[in-house]
Amino acid sequence: MAQRHLIIGGGTAGINAIRTIREEERERSEIALVAAERPYSRMVLPYYLDRSIAESHVYTATPRVLADWGVTSRIGRRATALDTQAGVCTLDDGTTLEYDDCLIATGSSAVRAPVPGADGRAVHSFWTLEEARAVLAGIRPRSHVVLVGAGFIAFTILNSILSLGARLTIVEVAPRILPRMIDDTGAGLVARWLADHGVTVRTGVTLTRIEDAKGGKRLVFASGAPLACDLVIMATGITTNLEWLQGSGVGVNRGVVVDEHLRSSVPSVYAAGDVAEGRDRISGEAAVHAIEPTAQEHGRVAGANMAGKDVRYRGSVLINIVEVCHLDVASFGAWDDPKAEAASGLMADRPAYRKLLWRGDRLTGAIILGPSSDIWTTNDVGMLKGLVQSGVALGRFKAHLMAQPFDVKPAFIASRTTSRLLDETILGRPAKAPGDTPVAV
Amino acid sequence: MRVLAIHPEKCTGCLRCELACSYVQTGEFQPAKSVIRVSPFEGHTSYAPYTCTQCAEGWCMTACPVGAITINAAGAKDVLDDRCVGCKLCTIACPYGTMFYDPGTRKAFKCNLCGGAPACAEACPTAAITYEETWTGDWLGDFAHERTARILEIR
Ligand SMILES: Cc1cc2nc3c(=O)[nH]c(=O)nc-3n(C[C@H](O)[C@H](O)[C@H](O)COP(=O)(O)OP(=O)(O)OC[C@H]3O[C@@H](n4cnc5c(N)ncnc54)[C@H](O)[C@@H]3O)c2cc1C
Ligand code: SF4
Ligand code: SF4
Repeated sequence: MAQRHLIIGGGTAGINAIRTIREEERERSEIALVAAERPYSRMVLPYYLDRSIAESHVYTATPRVLADWGVTSRIGRRATALDTQAGVCTLDDGTTLEYDDCLIATGSSAVRAPVPGADGRAVHSFWTLEEARAVLAGIRPRSHVVLVGAGFIAFTILNSILSLGARLTIVEVAPRILPRMIDDTGAGLVARWLADHGVTVRTGVTLTRIEDAKGGKRLVFASGAPLACDLVIMATGITTNLEWLQGSGVGVNRGVVVDEHLRSSVPSVYAAGDVAEGRDRISGEAAVHAIEPTAQEHGRVAGANMAGKDVRYRGSVLINIVEVCHLDVASFGAWDDPKAEAASGLMADRPAYRKLLWRGDRLTGAIILGPSSDIWTTNDVGMLKGLVQSGVALGRFKAHLMAQPFDVKPAFIASRTTSRLLDETILGRPAKAPGDTPVAV
Repeated sequence: MRVLAIHPEKCTGCLRCELACSYVQTGEFQPAKSVIRVSPFEGHTSYAPYTCTQCAEGWCMTACPVGAITINAAGAKDVLDDRCVGCKLCTIACPYGTMFYDPGTRKAFKCNLCGGAPACAEACPTAAITYEETWTGDWLGDFAHERTARILEIR
C-alpha cells in the first residue's frame, strides 16, 4: 500500500512540503491536504492591499496545481484533534483522516489587544486574506487609519495604507517602534523618517478601550487624549496555532518542538513553519521564527524526510526586511544579543545606519537602514546575510568592518565568503525552479 | 552549464561590462541599473567585476513567496516581472548580495546571463569575463585576499 502523507495547513510550509515530497519520493505516495483556507501567501497581502496585484495573484497552490500533484484536498476544514497512536486526524466536520505520517503546518494567528471594543465594527486584524479584503473595503482616500502596534507586521502594511490615500497614526505600548526588529538608534531614525512622511507615531501609550463615535471610532488610552479615526487595525502580535494538539502527545513548548529532521517528539509527526520550534542557526538554541524563509526551508526539509530522504537542517537565520516610505530597514540573526561585541555607523548626510554584532571574529547579527534607491544598501543587505549565515571567520577583516561598517564588500570578498557559501544547499542538491508550480524547491 | 568566469587580474576597471549590461537589461546605458558591478581594490589600484554566481541553492528563487524567480534556458535564475510583487525577500535571502531592486518599477532584478549571450563577456576588451562551460567558483576571493593591505591599515 502506498505511503499516506497528511499535510495540515496549506500555507508556505505546507505547500513547500507537498512539492518536495513529489520531487523526492521513490514511489508515488498518497498526499492529503487539510487547510482552513485556500492556499495563498500571507506575506504578499500588503501588495493586494495597495491594489498593485489582483486577488488571484496571492493564491499559491490552485485547484489545478493540487490536481497535478495528485493531492486530495479538504479546503475550508480545520483539524481539531490528532490521535498519534492510531494515526488519525479529526476535522471540524467530524470526519477523520488516516495517515502514515503527517506534517503540522498550521502557522500562527493574529492576536488582538484584550480591550473592550477590540472585536467591534471597523476594528480589524491583518493576517488573513479575508481580513485583508475587509480592510481594503473599509479604507477610503482621506480615511484616518490607526494601527495599534508598531511591530514588523504593522510596518509591512504601512506603505499600502498610505498609498490608498489614507492618513495614518501608529500607537504603540512600548516606549518605541519596532521593538523586536531593530535597536533604539534604528527605531529613532525610522520614527523621524515617519514623521517627515506625515505619519503620526504615539509610543508608550496603553490602549484601554475602543468605542464607537459619530460614524467612526474612538481609541481611549490610560493617559493622554483619545484618538478619533475611521478604521482600526490591530497588529498586536501573533500566536502559534497549537491548541488543537492538546492531548495528542506531540511535545510543544512555544511551538511544536522539532529535531534537525523537523520531526516532533512523535516520530510519525513533523512540524514546519510558524508553528514549529526549530533551531536558530546562529545561537544554536530552540526558537520559533515566524518568517517566510523559515517556513519555506522547514517545509522542504520536512517534505524530503517524509519522502524517505535523510536531510538534516542546520537551523534558520532570522532575517527581516521592510520598506518604510522608500527607507529599507533590515535585521539579521542575533541583532539584539546583549553579550555580543557591537560596532555601529551613522551617515550624517543620509538616513543610513548600520550595526554589526560579533562573537569573536564572526558576524552573528546586523541591522541595516538605508534609502531603497541606494544600490549598495540592497547589495550589502545580502552580503551581511551571507556573513551571518556562513559564520565565516573574518579574522583581520573584522577590524575593517568595525571601523567601516558601510564598506562590506571588500571584506566579504577577501574573506572568501563566496567559497564558503557555494556548496551549501538546503536539500543537498540544486534547487528546482517553480515551473508550473507556485514554489521552487 | 556555462557560467560567467571572472579573471580579476585582467580587469582594467574600464566599466564597459556595466554599460553593456545595463543596455541589454534595460535598453539604456545606465550603469546604475547594471547587475554586474566593478569594485575597486587597494584604493583603486586594481579592479574586479562581481555578479550573481547562479548558485546551486538559488536562495533568491526558493525564498520568493510567489514563485517569481525561475531558471531560464541558459540555466540562470531569472525574475518574472509579471509575477514579482516587489517584496524584497530575495534581496535579503541572496547571501552574496547580488539581487537588485528598482524602486521605479518596484521589481527585483538580477543577472539572467542575458538568456545565454551575456553582454558583459562580449563587451570586456581584456577577457576578464568569459562565458564558459565550467564550475562556478569564488573567482575573486584569492585576488581580493592578496589586495587588502590598505583595508588592514585602517585601524
Ligand atoms: C501582512 C503580512 C506580511 C508579512 N510579511 C512578511 C515578510 O515580509 N517577510 C517574512 O519573512 N514574513 C512575512 N510574513 C509572515 C509569513 O507570512 C509567515 O511567516 C508564513 O506565512 C508562515 O508560513 P506557514 O506555512 O508556517 O503558516 P501560514 O502561511 O500561516 O499557513 C498556515 C496554514 O494553516 C491553516 N490552518 C491553521 N489552523 C489550521 C487547522 N487547525 N487545520 C487546518 N488548517 C489550519 C491556515 O489556514 C493556513 O493555510 C507576513 C505575514 C503577514 C500576515
Ligand atoms: S542572486 Fe544570489 S541567491 Fe540568486 S542565484 Fe544569484 S547568487 Fe544565488
Ligand atoms: S521581490 Fe519579487 S522576485 Fe523578489 S522575492 Fe519578492 S516577489 Fe519574489
